[in-house]
Amino acid sequence: MNTQTQTETVNKDQPSFARLRNLWNDYLPYWFIAPMVLVMVMITFFPGAYDLYLSLIEEPTVNILNAEFVGLSNYETAFTRGGAIHSFVITITVVASALLLESFLGFFLAALVAGVESSRAKSFYRVLFIVPMAVAPVSLATIGRIMLNSEIGVIPYLIETVTPFAAPAFLSEIPLLTVILLDTWNWTPFMFIIFYAGLSSVPGTLIEASRVDGAPLWRRYVHVIIPYMKPVVFVAVLIRMIDLFRTFGVVYGLTQGGPGTATQLVSINIYEQMFINNSPGVATAIAVVYLVFVIAIANIVIAKVGFEGVWD
Amino acid sequence: MATQSQDIDSATGSQWLDKSTQETLVRIGRHGLLLVWSFIVLFPLYWLASMSLKPPGEANALPPDWIFLPTVYNYIQLAQDGAFLAAFANSVIMVGASVVLVLLIGVPAAYVLSRWDIPMERDVLVWILSSRMLPPIAVVIPFFVIFRELNLFDTRIGMVFMYVSINLSLVVWVMKAFFDGIPETLEEAARVDGATRFQGFRKVVLPAAKPGIFSVAIISFIFAWIELLFGLVLTNFNAVPVTLFVYSFIGSRSIEWGMLAAASTAMIIPVVIFLIAVNKYLAAGLSFGVVIKE
Repeated sequence: MNTQTQTETVNKDQPSFARLRNLWNDYLPYWFIAPMVLVMVMITFFPGAYDLYLSLIEEPTVNILNAEFVGLSNYETAFTRGGAIHSFVITITVVASALLLESFLGFFLAALVAGVESSRAKSFYRVLFIVPMAVAPVSLATIGRIMLNSEIGVIPYLIETVTPFAAPAFLSEIPLLTVILLDTWNWTPFMFIIFYAGLSSVPGTLIEASRVDGAPLWRRYVHVIIPYMKPVVFVAVLIRMIDLFRTFGVVYGLTQGGPGTATQLVSINIYEQMFINNSPGVATAIAVVYLVFVIAIANIVIAKVGFEGVWD
Repeated sequence: MATQSQDIDSATGSQWLDKSTQETLVRIGRHGLLLVWSFIVLFPLYWLASMSLKPPGEANALPPDWIFLPTVYNYIQLAQDGAFLAAFANSVIMVGASVVLVLLIGVPAAYVLSRWDIPMERDVLVWILSSRMLPPIAVVIPFFVIFRELNLFDTRIGMVFMYVSINLSLVVWVMKAFFDGIPETLEEAARVDGATRFQGFRKVVLPAAKPGIFSVAIISFIFAWIELLFGLVLTNFNAVPVTLFVYSFIGSRSIEWGMLAAASTAMIIPVVIFLIAVNKYLAAGLSFGVVIKE
């Protein structure tokens, strides 16, 4: 109120530029936060509401604004003929196994690098190990197609010439495992770099103290070091989990969800329902369920582990 | 202190080895494991790069030509491929513009979240994070419909907006954490000297937050650069990003492996350089600001 009257009186005897400047400075936090709020509304509430709307109207619809509501029939189609359940199972399998693998491998590597004595070797490993993150998932799919190809791939070739085993057909016999392993190669660096930073923040005196107790190595990690860096572990796992639910490029580039529907993640199922089957109602029905599912899981994780000590 | 604890350490450990042998074994084991992972990291990248440098026809020879005369033939082919150049330029322009825009939107907002008392601040922060939880495929369908109405389909502007949507939550979170770490007394001193709030932000706070801005810019660049889905759904000719170019290569019937490898290599190299440049602050950025110091 006060500032408003101020700018009005200033208006009389000052050029409009100064008036604008006062308006800018008096309401600075509003100007600063408004664009972010606007964009956030556009990328959260709008898509959520629009997905919900599209999932409840009849399809295919030419005139979206005058379409007839069909209740939950699109949802029924999605979960009977649409393969939604299957793609949820595939997604959960990929997310859970990749998350476990990347967490353990990332932590193990971080602990190994943290123990390296020479600081030059340490920074060498630290920089080298983040490089896979530079590879776009779709490029990784390219590399996978080249190196794992049963006829021309170097990895099946090496397996068959160096070891006594027959090489599996990575893309047709074990496509799901291949996807998980490729993602692990791609994103273990994410876990590694955060865990490494977390390990470096553990005070040396704490490690010393646990050593004096004479506890074996693994118990020192489980009972002293990991509890100390719990916020870091929590946030790394949470963010990686959220991002794993976004996985698309590596699978789409590698197998397009196939062979058959063996690697059909929910995101790929939705994509195909929408753009190949031209079935926006079914696609958005699955999208709404997926959206609620991912947000619910993330919020359960946040609530279980607790915000305290992490972001406060 | 250190030697004492090590004594206890080896005493409780295996007693059949003396201390120095045990330490040497640990060191060898550690470096052995690290070298194995280094090999796993490097081999696919080496393979891709070497494939891009082999003459056509030799790219897929089995047994592989471990020793060969490198040629830039594939890169010359690529440089003459208008579609690749256009896609690469598109990606540079669209991703670059999106990073500038997301910083302009996100950094001031993070400053407000850090300095002012916002009602329900935690809920606001979780809401911002939730934009990252929305699966991109669920977000892109409404935008596919609306972009066609607004003539934003297959335009760079539309893609820039989508790239902003990927990174806004990251920028706000990381920068809020950075601003929290900058003492407020700095701006107060500036304001005592007669600076306005905005000047205090621009001349005092922003310079102090430079490392944070730099790292969050690069991480935003990478997340947008590697994105495939938005390009796949929202472009078909004019605004095709380089990821979609690489993908369309895979889709075509007769794959020119050498050129595909060259395109992928060209796409990876700038990002590797960026990552190495920012590696000190990478953890702060990737952990949404939870880790600030290493």
